[in-house]
Amino acid sequence: MNAFLIPDLLLLLTPFLVIAIRIFTRNSKPAFIFANLSFLVIFVFLNRLVLGDEPHIFFSTWKVDRFGVLMREILILGAFLGVWFAKDYFDHRADHKSKLTQMAEYIAALMFATFGGFAVLSATELLTLFLGLEIATVPMYALTAWNKTDPNGSEAGTKFILMGSVATAFELFGLSYLYGFAGTLELSLIADAVAQNMHSPLLWISVLFLICGIGFKLTLFPFYTWAPDVYDGAPTPTTAVLSVTSKLVAVIFLMVLIFGPFAAIHSELIPFLSLLAAITLFVGNLGALKQNRLRRFMAYSSISQAGYILIALIGPESLARGAVAYYFVVYTIANYLAFFIFGVIGRNRSETFESLRGLSKQSPVLAVALAVAAFSLAGIPPLAGFLGKFFLFYSAAEAKGYALILFAVLNNVIALYYYIQLIKAAWVDEPETEPEPLAITLRQKVVIIVLMIGTLTIGVLPFLNTNIFRIVG
Amino acid sequence: MLETLLYNSIWILPLLTTLLCVPIPREKEKLIKNVHLFSGFLVLGIAVYLTIQLYFLSLASPVQGSVSVLRFVTELPWLQAINAHYFIGADGLSMLMVLLTAVVVFTGMLVSLNIGKGSKEFFALIQILGTSIYGVFMSFDLVLFFIFYEMEAVCMYLMIAGWGSGKKDYGGKKLTLTLALGSAMILAVFFGIHVESGIHSWNILELAQVKLPETFQMWAFPILFMGFAVSGSLFPFHFWSPDGHSAAPTAVSMLAAGVMMKMGTYGILRIAIYLMPEGARFALPYLVYLTIFNVVLAAFIAVRHKDLKYITAYSSISHLGLIFLGIAALTPVSLRGAALQMLSHGFLTALFFAAVGMIYSRTHTRNILEMGGLMKQIPFIGVAFVIAGFAGLGLPGFSGFIAEITIFIGSFENTSPVFRLITILAVLSITTTAIYILQTANRMLNGALPGRFAAITDAGPGEKTVLVLLILCLLGLGLFPAPVSDFLDSSLAPILENLKR
Repeated sequence: MNAFLIPDLLLLLTPFLVIAIRIFTRNSKPAFIFANLSFLVIFVFLNRLVLGDEPHIFFSTWKVDRFGVLMREILILGAFLGVWFAKDYFDHRADHKSKLTQMAEYIAALMFATFGGFAVLSATELLTLFLGLEIATVPMYALTAWNKTDPNGSEAGTKFILMGSVATAFELFGLSYLYGFAGTLELSLIADAVAQNMHSPLLWISVLFLICGIGFKLTLFPFYTWAPDVYDGAPTPTTAVLSVTSKLVAVIFLMVLIFGPFAAIHSELIPFLSLLAAITLFVGNLGALKQNRLRRFMAYSSISQAGYILIALIGPESLARGAVAYYFVVYTIANYLAFFIFGVIGRNRSETFESLRGLSKQSPVLAVALAVAAFSLAGIPPLAGFLGKFFLFYSAAEAKGYALILFAVLNNVIALYYYIQLIKAAWVDEPETEPEPLAITLRQKVVIIVLMIGTLTIGVLPFLNTNIFRIVG
Repeated sequence: MLETLLYNSIWILPLLTTLLCVPIPREKEKLIKNVHLFSGFLVLGIAVYLTIQLYFLSLASPVQGSVSVLRFVTELPWLQAINAHYFIGADGLSMLMVLLTAVVVFTGMLVSLNIGKGSKEFFALIQILGTSIYGVFMSFDLVLFFIFYEMEAVCMYLMIAGWGSGKKDYGGKKLTLTLALGSAMILAVFFGIHVESGIHSWNILELAQVKLPETFQMWAFPILFMGFAVSGSLFPFHFWSPDGHSAAPTAVSMLAAGVMMKMGTYGILRIAIYLMPEGARFALPYLVYLTIFNVVLAAFIAVRHKDLKYITAYSSISHLGLIFLGIAALTPVSLRGAALQMLSHGFLTALFFAAVGMIYSRTHTRNILEMGGLMKQIPFIGVAFVIAGFAGLGLPGFSGFIAEITIFIGSFENTSPVFRLITILAVLSITTTAIYILQTANRMLNGALPGRFAAITDAGPGEKTVLVLLILCLLGLGLFPAPVSDFLDSSLAPILENLKR
């Protein structure tokens, strides 16, 4: 039986159903509920899949293995949180912009982007890989420009689509060189060809183009410049999705290549990856220092996070996979926790640092949650983010990348500085004028509490990371 | 078995108390404070009981070889993916540090009873801070150690920024970020130790039996040493401490200077030197030059300062320099002296900052030029301050004397002329200490009383308890140093044994 295909098929089907339901109902509420239910069903299916050590392959083009299932679950988690977060922006105005419309279509686009991630995970040959990445990216262009009344959103969308197309061209170029080099699209056959002829110029040109292309999507130096503008101009839920789902898909794409076709030249790629990682996290950290707008701040923060994630990729495959999977769980949780808090604050105010002032008096729980999110993103123990970063470094330590680790942990001090700025705004700074009252819905309350407890506990309790490393190792 | 449970509860109890207090509404301040005080007292009681137990246990069976003998051991698999364990245990050094922490946490709570706004959060943070410091001294697994070690810096920021005075955000950030810099260096080297050891273990006792590659030790030891030295405020990483202390509320100053700054020197003894003795022998003769700044120059800086907290902070830096001198000399006597000084200075500086905090809360100024004649108004606090000053000067009878003399003898035993020269300089610097202590006490306590201080009152019962308790600790350590020295020797023996290999 091909039971392992069910979750993928379900996810491919649900966006159409979500839109169909919207057509036949008066408002988008049934579509929202249906989307949540289907996320739940897909997640349960993924969880119930029993896979052996060998990957299951469907007609030699669609591969499902245990690591793939794990990453699918994380993608579903991200999409689910994204939909819940987006709901509020369709219900009321926020950040002094008009409210968003057409929620069902928004959800459907988000699901397609998630399905793109599934496709990248399942790829056994270059075409599926490329298609997956595009399916994950194209909906994001639309999501960025979703607020048609906001000129900043349109500007961000235009920037994103222009930059993204250039990146796509780079990727295609790289992939076609790779095809020209190996004479096949099959990833496993390419890996053999690479192992036999490691120093072919054709191969290295392809590597160069591919790294450039994925550098755009993963916001690596020097291709990160679009990110602050796009993150800032896009509607806030899109920013959250961009910083979690898009990033995850790009990392998976890079991992498929590095530990697949390029496995033989992995050790020779290490200097380049180290350099990219180091510069990326450094510029991300520097950029975040002096930001005032929260979304722009999160953009730089996520650029530096991309640098940290890249560090894990210099380690051996099993450790890198486990580290990236665990990191994305904690990063998703902490990032959405921060965004949910920004969402609550941005309802009647602008999404800036000034709006955070006086939060500790207005709502101590929110202020504590913000501190938890910020410290987790900064990687302070015993919060989950610390262990996430620890695993990333652990993977690199296995490859003896001590200098890179030292550089990264020293950079963490800069990161701690700007995350402390968030906490300072909420806890220390006094508001200049009487702040607007906060309005918080029950859904937001539940999510914030759950995410906060998650961030506090999964870094200390061993269950999640032990399981993740057992699955990938 | 009971002892093991009690030992674990030392760091768990504070956390449980914090959780217990979450549902209590913040209006019931008195109840919250009493719950926290009770838990602090309970932990102190447990620590005293266990110290006595451990003392007799360690007398019964002396340590042999380079393996530390731990008691009250709990070892459970924790993060199996990286082979990290929940591994805590006690030997003489860690037990005494835990006891010191318990005393300072309890007295810190007592002086914070009138903290005012947000006392619920403040006491919760003190407890979490306490947990992290206990954890550092108790854990013998590098991952566990690091988690506790890094936790404390963040609590410090929240407490200083929230409840401090003066440039609190600046001081808090400076402190936290500099400490984070130190932890960053430590973390990087821990990864190196884990991988280079070849046994993929984080267990300090196991790692101590492995000889790490010497080329690795040559660069890793200085980085690890400096990482730890940040929290011990060794030059050139001392700059966080005066600003941090002066901005911090009293309890935080007490905890920071009293115990947190000892975490660095503890880490050097327990981890850096124990695991990398070859690197230590190679690098410490160079690193010892840094202590000249601490011991000699910091004392001169203290002479010029007019702010009570800055004076105390620089005095701390100067005394901590002696610990570093003792460690760097690497003789059995000097290491014992360093360990004694860690304890002695912990009590001493806690007493200092407690007295300073009490004076500041009454006069609302820390400038000694604006004070005068306070002895008439607040004799109890005044006498406590003078006692702290004399103990810091090294008056025989108090712990400072015995600790400093041991360090001096020990470091003079090191035959290198550099160490002898620095020892002589350090002995001479006591004169400078006398200058700033006497001049501060004189300006503050004698002379005419400014009219605006006419209404201030002497210490209340809680404050008196704090001062008396800390003075008793100083006296106890100073009058009966022999048992404590034996106790410390039993845990320093394995480290010295490793140094000989």
